[in-house]
Amino acid sequence: MLFESSVGPGEAGRLQHAVAVLPALEQAADAAGGWESVTRIAVGLGPGSFTGLRIGIATARGAGAAAGIPVVGVSTLDALARPALEDTGKSAVLATTDARRGELFAALYLAGKRVWDPFVASSADVSDRLREQSEAVLAVGAGALRFRDELAVRAEIPGESSPLHRVAARHLCALGATDDVDASSDPLYLRPPDAERWHDRNASRKSPS
Amino acid sequence: MTDSQSPPGQTLNRNQSSSVLLAVETSCDDTCAAVLEGPRILSNVISSQAAAHSRFGGVVPEVASRQHLELTVPVTQAALAEADVSLGDIEAIAVTAGPGLIGALLVGLSTAKAMAATHRIPLIPVDHLQGHVAANFLEPDPIEPPFLCLVASGGHTLLAAVREHGGHDVIGQTLDDAAGEAFDKAARMLGLGYPGGPALERLAEGGDPAAFRFPVAMTREPGLDFSFSGLKTALVYRCRELGEEGLRERDADLAAGFQAAVVNQLVAKLDRALRGGEWDTVALGGGVAANGPLRSAVAAACERRGAGLKLVSRELCTDNAAMIGAAALHSSSLAYPDYLSFDAFATGPRAPAA
Ligand SMILES: [Zn+2]
Repeated sequence: MLFESSVGPGEAGRLQHAVAVLPALEQAADAAGGWESVTRIAVGLGPGSFTGLRIGIATARGAGAAAGIPVVGVSTLDALARPALEDTGKSAVLATTDARRGELFAALYLAGKRVWDPFVASSADVSDRLREQSEAVLAVGAGALRFRDELAVRAEIPGESSPLHRVAARHLCALGATDDVDASSDPLYLRPPDAERWHDRNASRKSPS
Repeated sequence: MTDSQSPPGQTLNRNQSSSVLLAVETSCDDTCAAVLEGPRILSNVISSQAAAHSRFGGVVPEVASRQHLELTVPVTQAALAEADVSLGDIEAIAVTAGPGLIGALLVGLSTAKAMAATHRIPLIPVDHLQGHVAANFLEPDPIEPPFLCLVASGGHTLLAAVREHGGHDVIGQTLDDAAGEAFDKAARMLGLGYPGGPALERLAEGGDPAAFRFPVAMTREPGLDFSFSGLKTALVYRCRELGEEGLRERDADLAAGFQAAVVNQLVAKLDRALRGGEWDTVALGGGVAANGPLRSAVAAACERRGAGLKLVSRELCTDNAAMIGAAALHSSSLAYPDYLSFDAFATGPRAPAA
């Protein structure tokens, strides 16, 4: 590995993506010997904060278009699950991020394979779904930390300071270097815009079908 | 990859008519990119998202942001292709930094910053409103300051005193809704589609503007500020009084009356600003500047006051990236790597130092 960087939220929990991601990307390209030496950009597609995802993807696409190299998308949950699957010896891993509004984004991996695609659900629903699993599940990520009390019955959750809870760019790179990648680099929103939900709700109320 | 001709730290030579700029604008619901050679437009690509927003009757910020992410790179590449240049030929990238929808701005800004950084070329952050003013500096018939510019669109309504190329002073602005926003809301009440301005204008053609009296706000108050929210409330009451059937019969009269009230207020304030005799030239900007009755009323007021009127084409009135490039020609540029952490701003006067 030539370079890796990670910047957490700033003052009052404000996301730093708009100010932090491009300096890190430029440092990474420099460490690789300049953009001429870079052949592919891997970017996390989420799920996560909509604005955060867009800043990351727009930055990657801008750099990719300018450098004339492809941009590939990697599920952020895949990247989160990778070290948990490889380093802990656990064969069942639930990767999560905080979806706000009392919900979490999650995906389940068994023996190195994704068996539940990313979805958004309440902690109670996730806990219910985990009941079907016979194997001991390791839950990692911001969603697991946030809903520790609700999930702890069904899953083992490492302590708050464990690096397993944070996405590391090296895993995005490792997954992005394979052939099994998303060449579209479209974000995994998993939720429609709120306006769409309101609109559909009102429309279904109005039409007496 | 070609290195830029201007080394890091050097700002663009403003008078260099040959400098080739790429400009990106994503502050609202149009994804725009343009290539300029000095004040000459080589390409000006606008991808309207109106279809994506029409069913909501207005711009939905999250929908706009999602669309911008889809469109910014393709629209930028289309602008380069149409101008027959490659990114390696571009000397600097201009981008709207604000004001506007923050999530939308961040898509264009992130893309533009990354493109500029990858080629080590300067970035020129531009104030969107200065962009509307600077549309008047573009070829083929640019005007020179000083002039008075009325900018009216779905997002803003203001009177700008333009005394130099690099900036403007706001001498009047709306205290509530923007003029275009008032048109959109009225159009919605009258069952018209989005964007509402053009639809309302068409409906008003068959109506009598004197049939309903709408308040022309702010004409008794001193100053040059605008207000459109009372007008909207008045329309709500008229619609209620008429009932569903009455509304269908009288919709053209309502549209005509409403439009006249908006136009009258805009022109009354413009006229008041011209009264002192300081301004010889008036310019219009923003989507509402495409409104026919407004154009005629402004032309009449200018004639009365002995001022010349500059009307840019419809394409340069509404949001576009060529105007952002035009503003950039007179704004300071940030050399690589000084802009890597540059952030967007949603509201307020944080115009980059001009
Ligand atoms: Zn505008």
